[in-house]
Amino acid sequence: MALQEDNLWYKDAVIYQTHVRAFCDSNGDGIGDFVGLTQRLDYLQELGTNTVWLLPFYPSPLRDDGYDIADYTTVHPSYGTLDDFKAFLTAAHNRGLRVIIEMVMNHTSDQHPWFQEARSSRDNPKRDWYVWSDTDTKYQGVRIIFIDTELSNWTWDPVSKSYYWHRFFSHQPDLNFDNPAVFEAMWEIMRFWLDMGVDGFRLDAVPYLVEREGTSCENLPETHAIIKQVRKRLDEFYPGRMLLAEANQWPADVRAYFGDGDEFHTAFHFPLMPRMFMAVKLEDRKPIIEILDQTPPIPENCQWCIFLRNHDELTLEMVTDIERDYMYDEYATDKTMRINLGIRRRLAPMMENDRRRIELLNGLLMSMPGTPIVYYGDEIGMGDNIYLGDRNGVRTPMQWNGGTNAGFSFADPERLYSPLISNSVYGYQVVNVDSQRRFGHSLLSWMKALIKTRNSYRVFSRGTMEFLRPSNHRVLAYIRELGNEKILIVNNLSSSAQAVELDVQRYKGYIPIEMFGRNLFPRFGDLPYLLTLGPYQFYWFRLRRI
Amino acid sequence: MADETFLSDDLLRQLMSVGEVDLLVGILSHSSANTMRRAAHSVEKSLQQNFVRQRVAIISVDGGTAEDSDSDEHSGDGQPGNNSYSKGLNSLRTIHRITAGFNGAPSPGLALRTILSSSDLLRAKACAVVSPATSSTAPEWVANLLRPAFRDSFDFVAPLYSRHKFQGLLARNLLYPMTRALFGRRIRELYSDEWAFSSRLGSYCLNEDVWHEEPVRSRPEAWMGVSAITSDFRCCQVYLGEKPPPPDGAGPDLVEVLRQTVGNLFWLLETHEQSWMERKDSEPVPTFGPEHAVTAEPMEINRARMIEMFQTGVKELEPILKSILSNETLAGIQSVAALDQHSFRFSAELWVTMLYEFAASYHHSVINRDHLVQALVPLYRGKIYSFIEEYSDTSAREMEAASENLCLEFERQKPYLTEKWKAGVEVKS
Repeated sequence: MALQEDNLWYKDAVIYQTHVRAFCDSNGDGIGDFVGLTQRLDYLQELGTNTVWLLPFYPSPLRDDGYDIADYTTVHPSYGTLDDFKAFLTAAHNRGLRVIIEMVMNHTSDQHPWFQEARSSRDNPKRDWYVWSDTDTKYQGVRIIFIDTELSNWTWDPVSKSYYWHRFFSHQPDLNFDNPAVFEAMWEIMRFWLDMGVDGFRLDAVPYLVEREGTSCENLPETHAIIKQVRKRLDEFYPGRMLLAEANQWPADVRAYFGDGDEFHTAFHFPLMPRMFMAVKLEDRKPIIEILDQTPPIPENCQWCIFLRNHDELTLEMVTDIERDYMYDEYATDKTMRINLGIRRRLAPMMENDRRRIELLNGLLMSMPGTPIVYYGDEIGMGDNIYLGDRNGVRTPMQWNGGTNAGFSFADPERLYSPLISNSVYGYQVVNVDSQRRFGHSLLSWMKALIKTRNSYRVFSRGTMEFLRPSNHRVLAYIRELGNEKILIVNNLSSSAQAVELDVQRYKGYIPIEMFGRNLFPRFGDLPYLLTLGPYQFYWFRLRRI
Repeated sequence: MADETFLSDDLLRQLMSVGEVDLLVGILSHSSANTMRRAAHSVEKSLQQNFVRQRVAIISVDGGTAEDSDSDEHSGDGQPGNNSYSKGLNSLRTIHRITAGFNGAPSPGLALRTILSSSDLLRAKACAVVSPATSSTAPEWVANLLRPAFRDSFDFVAPLYSRHKFQGLLARNLLYPMTRALFGRRIRELYSDEWAFSSRLGSYCLNEDVWHEEPVRSRPEAWMGVSAITSDFRCCQVYLGEKPPPPDGAGPDLVEVLRQTVGNLFWLLETHEQSWMERKDSEPVPTFGPEHAVTAEPMEINRARMIEMFQTGVKELEPILKSILSNETLAGIQSVAALDQHSFRFSAELWVTMLYEFAASYHHSVINRDHLVQALVPLYRGKIYSFIEEYSDTSAREMEAASENLCLEFERQKPYLTEKWKAGVEVKS
């Protein structure tokens, strides 16, 4: 299957996020690699996803899961070679799968040659590639992001006897984008991968590129100017490639990263994610409606990216203190589950392995406006291991079957980069791809059907959304519309059966057709449309005027 | 179990949408729709700030404004202009607003019954009832009332107000000391516009077969409080603050006030006869919140008019008073009426004796009960005149001490009421 020629392809994407290390080990060293990943591409195609987003695979001391890059233009030896990557890219494209890779612009590893040079002498030409100071008092008041591990955004460098600036771990010095040479170096790196054929970049930590005294050092105009410059060159030389922003900010602040359609093509909608979890626990649609009402419109050529879980903690930065306390109390009662300002758990354990709630949340993910991202393993209900430290508990090996090492690797189990999930509820013997492929009612089979349905109607990816706001607040109902395509989505967020009356007078005469079973429901008339829903049940109706 | 047929289909539909709640606030009024809407907004704000995780609903019960009652039916889920983030408010959940109108003649009793029924169907753990005036001016009261019922398992929460020493005189001189002496619990404000209750008490009251009784229809709150006391529900009081003046600036007619309160109290004595007769002394109830001092700024009162109405009333109502009061008591009152303004004193002893005789006569229906209560009006004016004269220059503390003595006098004379109550009707010529 060839890639479709459509510069707006990212709007119709269903993204599968995975880590090379965690997906499949082909050479038995206990670490996943590109050859293994390539072997498993059929699975992603079978699932219905059409885009792969890979976590960093560059050479790195791996002190931040690869986000501490030591060399931007090759592959970490554990994951294979550059040729292996090229083969993977070709195989993906041959299957109609696009590939998004990570680009960490904000900082490097302290092991990167640039930093090693920069710290070697104050006179080194690379010195000005990073942000240095003789004191640690500049940019006072700028928040610390990794509050569990960092006390300051400045760290003393004993080699060059000065402080360097870092918004994340102290081993990740921030690059100095006030130096044009840094920008040019980054663009060269991007060109390297674009020339190879990657379809897009997820730009990590974009709000923090530039620092200015007296500001929060986030979302500064100078940062936007840099993004605009990247986008301009991308459109000029690589049309059809995509930029995805990681900006963990409020929607109004993230909106700026779309610019006038001349910055990012897509950006994560961070605040929506915790509110989906909150709404299900509260059994109340308020959090979702509230945040989407606050979400400003974005340019026509842009798209939100939405997700339930990812490789990081379930971030609670974009919630109020009261909301955060609530999320902790409800989803992270064991303090080991908490890290930084978030919760390091996977979807299934957070839902207490309740299939109905897992389905409901995935139903929301696939039906809300935006490009959905599925985190590897969540499609089969994988568990986590909160005792592994940092966020490694949600980065354990993919569970392919119930055999040796879950089919992930043929290495000795002790050699695996991470222990497998092996408990009696989420263990690979119980939760794995092979066993779920065998049954039509498995979560995996259900996910395939869900994604297939979504992919069948462009209204999901490009249509408008309008809330219906029935009086029953436990029911979240909305209409997605694109031209003549109209979809009604009704979600029961509560654990009990609900009746709801929907005001669909505007659609009088339409026949709702349930989209999974294709069953006809009574035609909409003058009266409010009465529906009953079981606990956590949801309906997707295609509205047809026949 | 609530009588579901009592509720309108529209209300039932709204309750279905709300589902189960932790807290319910009833706004009980015959005010205009705008007043009710403002009150609902104010209550919502209080709930958003104080009960961020709880499932809450507000029910506005108003017989006169049903025609536009649906305009604010649903709120708090991100409707335009209702954004909790922009307001700095914190509630995590939708705050449901329900409106209940009546087709027939509304009454406070009917309204309370609607609230109780709603509370029962919504399985609210605690419920507060407030007036629109109060909830608009002092929204934090709602939270203060709800907390003891919701968090501390109290079944009945009565308010305590900060008042000028010459405000709330009916409560100070009659309602409080008499209910305290008879029902044995020191709850100062059984007749108030706001109170809270638990689901247990709400269900208990809902199942009582009293809703057709006029005293319950007109002043259901005291009946609820007395029911809580006599059935040994856990009662408490909570300091709220200064009671806002009535919205229109003028209080209701005194005759009507006494009819609704004193008449109501006399009726309660009948319906809870066994309970009050068995009780001896009185016990304090737990009281929460910072105490508010009684204020004592100068106040304009037309005293001459009061004593004149008392004296005229004693004279003109003598035939009626003769049928209500004993000869000794009537003589005592007449001698008070004969005093001039400067030496005028209506003693606590005489006041209590007189009231107990009124209560007994009400019980024995010696005359039309409504007329009986009306006959009390001029005598009450005399007592109040005397009270103001006695305490116009005293401190709040001294006045409190005198009030306590009056309460003790009510308790001391309780056996006299019991005796008169049990005695047959004394036929007087």
